[in-house]
Amino acid sequence: MSDAMKSLLFAAVIGIVCSLLLTAASSGLKAFQQENALVDRQRNVLKSVGALEPERKYGTDEIKELFAAAIKDIRVDANGQVLDADAASGLPLFLYTRDGQVQSYIVPVDSRGLWGRIYGYLAIDNDGRTVTGFSVYQHSETPGLGGEIEKPWFQQNFVGRQIVDAQGNLTSVGIAKGKVAEVIAPERKDHYVDGISGATLTGRYLSEGLKDILKAYEPVSRRFRDEGRIELPEIS
Amino acid sequence: MTTATAKLTSTQGYRMVADALWKTNPISKQVLGICSALAVTVQMNTAIVMALALTFVVAFSNLIISMMRNAIPRNIRIIVEVAVIATLVIIADEVLKAFLFNISKQLSVFVGLIITNCIVMGRAETYAMANPPGRSFLDGVANGLGYGSILIGVAFFRELLGSGKILGFQVVPQLAYDLGYTDMGLMLLAPGAFIVIGLFVWLEHSLLKD
Repeated sequence: MSDAMKSLLFAAVIGIVCSLLLTAASSGLKAFQQENALVDRQRNVLKSVGALEPERKYGTDEIKELFAAAIKDIRVDANGQVLDADAASGLPLFLYTRDGQVQSYIVPVDSRGLWGRIYGYLAIDNDGRTVTGFSVYQHSETPGLGGEIEKPWFQQNFVGRQIVDAQGNLTSVGIAKGKVAEVIAPERKDHYVDGISGATLTGRYLSEGLKDILKAYEPVSRRFRDEGRIELPEIS
Repeated sequence: MTTATAKLTSTQGYRMVADALWKTNPISKQVLGICSALAVTVQMNTAIVMALALTFVVAFSNLIISMMRNAIPRNIRIIVEVAVIATLVIIADEVLKAFLFNISKQLSVFVGLIITNCIVMGRAETYAMANPPGRSFLDGVANGLGYGSILIGVAFFRELLGSGKILGFQVVPQLAYDLGYTDMGLMLLAPGAFIVIGLFVWLEHSLLKD
């Protein structure tokens, strides 16, 4: 056998052995990873509505319990009508209830980022205008630059921002290119958060993503603005 | 010195570990693996997990490559080394994601980047390709620990000075903050890590001179 053949054969054997090992590791651990990812998403829903104390550590079971008690997972159609619980189509939406009242609704965020999708949650008060929180649970942005979107200082700035202007037109919440106080006109300050230096593109894509998502959920928001709530089907 | 310790200190295994921890330490002496040493040393628990992950990868890549060293065709040996290392890194990453999810999120890309860590490739190419499996494995463990010792040392000072904590527990008393003590924000940033690593390198070089 020639040297070249030997090299090819060796490379093929290594390739097969490595891929078998990786397949085994990936499928063997999948159940654990999916469970972790689910609890992490629930943790972020709770974080976006401010239901978690920032300094405290919560165990897996605690998160599941809090989520089950306070968060309702529903689907709405394009007109903001709530669909049956088992409907497969429609837009997913979470409701945060406390003392029997819907306090806020949570929109899942799936936005373009610089290096990959950005996944998170945006919580809006039951007045249909005021953002009560923002969280990110998965992204591929550069650590220290775009990766700052997962940091508390960035997410805190969303609290209290307005998604509509005084006339009730959708403005969404944008990420400013710099500090809001320096680059945004005073009358529009309510619709912007401070940007991240070195991450202009991440900010731009996330702004666009949030705008698209809020546009899709605008019928829901309008219902909350007009009626302060949405009609829920009876849940037995 | 008693004969027992004399015997211990003259074994090859002891010398290898001692050298990797001190005289030829991958970070402070060879200045390898600096990128991850900057990124994961804000807190001690991420530094410890990173040190364990790297030790696992470098020890087993050395072992596996050393076992195959006579069979690996010379012209594709780097590719084979990278394939072995990459497989081990992905396995380590998957295990962290399954059992230490929060820490794996904090480590983000840096576990994956062990693939490009010069320490792993360097040990495979210079040591494992020329030595038997047992010694190669020990060399891997020793270098992993050498890397880990600096990582944990740097993280100790960064966490203590930067956030007043050790392993997540508050150690600087509230009284000190009431009296006007503030945490050193610089330590949380990459330049803080550069300075601490620089001090480690300086300390080691000046001690080794004697």
